[in-house]
Amino acid sequence: MEARERLTEAQINEDLLGPTLRTPRWFWPVAGFLALVVLAGVVSFGLMINRGLGLTGLDRPVMWGALITTFVFWVGISHAGVMISSILRLAQAEWRRPVTRAAELLTVFALSTAAIFPLIHVGRPWRLLYWFLPYDFPRMVWPNVRSPLIWDPAAIFTYLSGASLFVFVALLPDFALARDRTRGWRHRLYSVLSLGFRGSLRQWKLQAIAGILLSALILPVFVSVHSIVSWDFAVAMSVDGWHATIFAPYFVIGAVHSGVAAVVTVMALMLWLFGWKRYIRPEHFDSLGKLELAVGIGWFYFFFLEVVFGLYGLGGPDLAMKQMQLTQWPWSLLFGIFIVTAAFIPIPLWMFRRVRRSILAMFLVSISVNIGMWFERFLIIVPGLARKQPFAFSWGTYSPRPVELIIVAASFALVLLGLLLFTRLFPPIPIYDMKEGQVLHQDLQVGRRRVPGIVRE
Amino acid sequence: MVSHEHAPDLTPDRIAQDGLRSLLVSGPRFFAAARILGALFALGIVGFVLRLRGGFEDRAAWGYYAGLFAFLLATVGSAPMVAIGLRLTKANWRRPLARAAELYLVGGVFLFLLFIPLLYLVPSAQGRRTIWFSWPNAPHLWDAWALAMLVVCGLLVLYASAVPDFASARDSLPGGLRQRVFAWLACRWRGRQRQWAVQRGVLVLLGAFYFMLLVLVYTLISSDFAISMVPGWRDPLFPTYQALVGLQAGVATVILTMYLLRRIGYQEYLGVGPFWSLAKILLALSLLWFYFWFSGLIVLWYGRQPVEQNILKLLWYGPYLPLFLLTAVLNFVGPLLVLMWNPLRRSVVGPAIASGMILVGTFLDRIRFFVAAFSVEETGVALEHVPPAHLPDGIDMMIVVGGIAGALFIYLMATRVIPIMAIWELREGLLLRARATVVRLEAIVLGKPS
Amino acid sequence: MPQASYKWQMVVDIDRCTGCQACVVACQAENNIPLNDDVAFRAFRANEWVRIERYWEGEYPNVKARFIPVMCQHCDNAPCEPVCPVYATHHNEEGLNVQIYPRCVGVRFCANNCPYHARFFNWWEPVWPESLRNHLNQDVTIRSRGLIEKCTFCIQRIRRAEREATRERRLVADGEVLPACVQACPTNALVFGNVKDPQSRVSRLLGHERGYRLLRELGVGPNVLYLKKVEREVHG
Repeated sequence: MEARERLTEAQINEDLLGPTLRTPRWFWPVAGFLALVVLAGVVSFGLMINRGLGLTGLDRPVMWGALITTFVFWVGISHAGVMISSILRLAQAEWRRPVTRAAELLTVFALSTAAIFPLIHVGRPWRLLYWFLPYDFPRMVWPNVRSPLIWDPAAIFTYLSGASLFVFVALLPDFALARDRTRGWRHRLYSVLSLGFRGSLRQWKLQAIAGILLSALILPVFVSVHSIVSWDFAVAMSVDGWHATIFAPYFVIGAVHSGVAAVVTVMALMLWLFGWKRYIRPEHFDSLGKLELAVGIGWFYFFFLEVVFGLYGLGGPDLAMKQMQLTQWPWSLLFGIFIVTAAFIPIPLWMFRRVRRSILAMFLVSISVNIGMWFERFLIIVPGLARKQPFAFSWGTYSPRPVELIIVAASFALVLLGLLLFTRLFPPIPIYDMKEGQVLHQDLQVGRRRVPGIVRE
Repeated sequence: MVSHEHAPDLTPDRIAQDGLRSLLVSGPRFFAAARILGALFALGIVGFVLRLRGGFEDRAAWGYYAGLFAFLLATVGSAPMVAIGLRLTKANWRRPLARAAELYLVGGVFLFLLFIPLLYLVPSAQGRRTIWFSWPNAPHLWDAWALAMLVVCGLLVLYASAVPDFASARDSLPGGLRQRVFAWLACRWRGRQRQWAVQRGVLVLLGAFYFMLLVLVYTLISSDFAISMVPGWRDPLFPTYQALVGLQAGVATVILTMYLLRRIGYQEYLGVGPFWSLAKILLALSLLWFYFWFSGLIVLWYGRQPVEQNILKLLWYGPYLPLFLLTAVLNFVGPLLVLMWNPLRRSVVGPAIASGMILVGTFLDRIRFFVAAFSVEETGVALEHVPPAHLPDGIDMMIVVGGIAGALFIYLMATRVIPIMAIWELREGLLLRARATVVRLEAIVLGKPS
Repeated sequence: MPQASYKWQMVVDIDRCTGCQACVVACQAENNIPLNDDVAFRAFRANEWVRIERYWEGEYPNVKARFIPVMCQHCDNAPCEPVCPVYATHHNEEGLNVQIYPRCVGVRFCANNCPYHARFFNWWEPVWPESLRNHLNQDVTIRSRGLIEKCTFCIQRIRRAEREATRERRLVADGEVLPACVQACPTNALVFGNVKDPQSRVSRLLGHERGYRLLRELGVGPNVLYLKKVEREVHG
């Protein structure tokens, strides 16, 4: 922890609530651009509904491609929120304070975006009632609970509702703060949302307990969601490259790897766009960087295990997928890009304090990680299917077509747009949390040094 | 809220006194424990010699020996991770328990000696499916190298942690042989700025290395001594599963050690705080036990492929089903039911009970995997027949009991040379604490130097 | 599952197969499969419920072509069935893996999990040229885009034979029902019948010395038996 300046409550209120109440100049052009990209995605989806999935680059045997990759990617990104928010809250780490809400928001928006993808990529979206809702009540035909694709919506919606509750509970004191400082439609909105929060002792206690309970309860959910998504692939015994027991923890730790990087991206953007130099400081990026280093090394270990054991049955059919990934153009290029951007650049860089404390460096490295992690999912899904079983005559290939790429880009725009619109209504840095941090911060005199300290009961 | 810290009325001198007590005075309880453990250890050596006479031809006979080794790796090898991990994350509540956890590092030498006969049992990698492809002697070379590096790294960490306390011992003893021994061990430690900086660097770096080497050792041991011995068992999750169960057993070992320390007079140092914090970690690890087990099961079970069904039968619901059920209860259901309740979690007895269950469960778990793997004689591509359960005989029991006793015996002897409370660490903790009044609350302020 | 009198099995004799693709054409005609042009083949989207896989062996001048017709194996332990979220594919009492077109939403997990690459997805709405509209078989549904289809062992022919047999209060006789591919094969390389009838041709072929199943080690229990090609030595 580092020594820092003392901020008054009024200052904190103004700094953190101000940008919510007064729209910055760059806001509407940026939001407008993002909305256009989202619109392009909607148009592409409309074309797919109108003409058919033939517009995509999918074929036989590669029946899942860029869209499913992006689905897994967004589910992965959604994991960082819980990781940072709940684990750091339970471990009482001080540096979490400005980061938690941004992370939780990333979870909610990334997960909502991810949930759209299964709807987009099915052959007949207008028949989805069979899948998401038990529809055929009269004929007693239920969804097939043996299918991992039924476990998926259950897991994702559990996580989404848990994460939304989590964000809401953490927002309550800030709703109350905003209610007391606004008029008009905003005042009415915050009054409804704050549920009558007045800051009494009992209410604070309830809010704190709710936060801790949700933190603890959402941890198993967080681990289970990406595991269940990974089992979409791992239980498919026909695709040798997918049928590995390690998929569940491998995907989860990959999700944390890409998710924490996404949080770094969002934090850097918040710092630059809103000018919150006093609240988002190099020490936060330093701590995030150390976390990323640990997670990144852990992820690389799982990746290494998966590769080694994948090559295990030397001469077996699983070898064909690895051959495609590593030796065949252009997959070998993609593999090289993936391993360099996701591991070989970030992990060594995070070992250096200077890199961790440089916000620009951390921002660029985090983008690199997510580029690599998108390719990681792509390289698991597509070569696995393209080299399925020894029927070499029926092996195939895949390259994504414009509709898919537009939809992928639109998903990024949707998440960013969601985050941006959120900041119009609610403060993205938890105000009450920052104030609590100020109160609990005391300096200690140790010999000739003043050491920053935390109050513990 | 109960404090996570040790009792506030300790002074630096009191800490030094208590810490050095174990070095200077050995009471009757010590001698009784030494005698019992020594006798059991001797019994184990006898059993080992008897087993050695049977030679290394029959691999199945050595299954329990391998299980013992794996169990000791999980307890003695993993317990120091508690100290190392907490030191790396700078958790303040590690201070009273760090040394007790680190002392298990002396058991590393014993672990390595135990490993040597196992090298004769792993067949060459050529012609089999292993992670070494067809490199014939790779398992022998690399497994031994990794374990040796682990032991050396561990001993260095222990030494670096103990040096300031050797200096305290040197300075408080009047003279004589013991004083000279401690002076030599302390290696001219004067507590200078630079020496502390070097010590901190060594502890942090070598600690991180120890963790990585431990994970590597788990990977290699579980791959070469379990997975590759069962044809058709392709399971990249298994090494991580073993590492996780090992970590769980390591935390359980530390909790039980702490419990024992409280009984022999260190209650003021080990309040409820450390137990509560470790119990939370133990709960998380128990849940992860279930998660890793289930992840392995669902993938192998869902595909209904014959070879994978045979492997599941061998390891889980075939001849070793009773062992597996016991393990599931002792490593997951039991600790979950105990540690779920905050009153039980935030106590001394609750975590201790959960730890006891976990240690027994881990032992049964290791026995199950390694005895099952060692009892497979086929060398094909897929497991065709599931061999029946291999029950222990008298020699096996002697070896197992003796091995555990031996590790504990070595630990006990080490406490005569290295104080079981880290004097320097506890003193450092005192320096970084102060009392303060926040709003209307009497609170403690903990310094967190960057 | 209620006990049925029939369990359908197919036998493919690789020694007799010449790779002429008559079965492929017959299947396309019988089952209203959309036409595959070269664009479809190049895009890896050809829809061939039964396909001839061709492998080249050897070096010039001793190059040999190996043909193997592959269709849905109607596995007893089908990996495609548990993964469909809407129960659009399931096993019926006669051992057939059936696809329920109205129910299929098109997630394509079944196609991914089929090790025989036997499932096909309709990427576009099927279109036939005007001249071919009259050739469509009225016993077989025309599938819209966005759903999965595959070989059904010509279930329409099986059902018709069963209806007639029931009307005449007897069981379907051996050879009475022939899927289109079996009927069209000029060398009689394909045999189809009821394995519960011990006198049927398929039952008598079951223990054949040349018999093997594709991907047997996967344990999916395919109901198609292949007879290995007899290798002839070329002397001189």
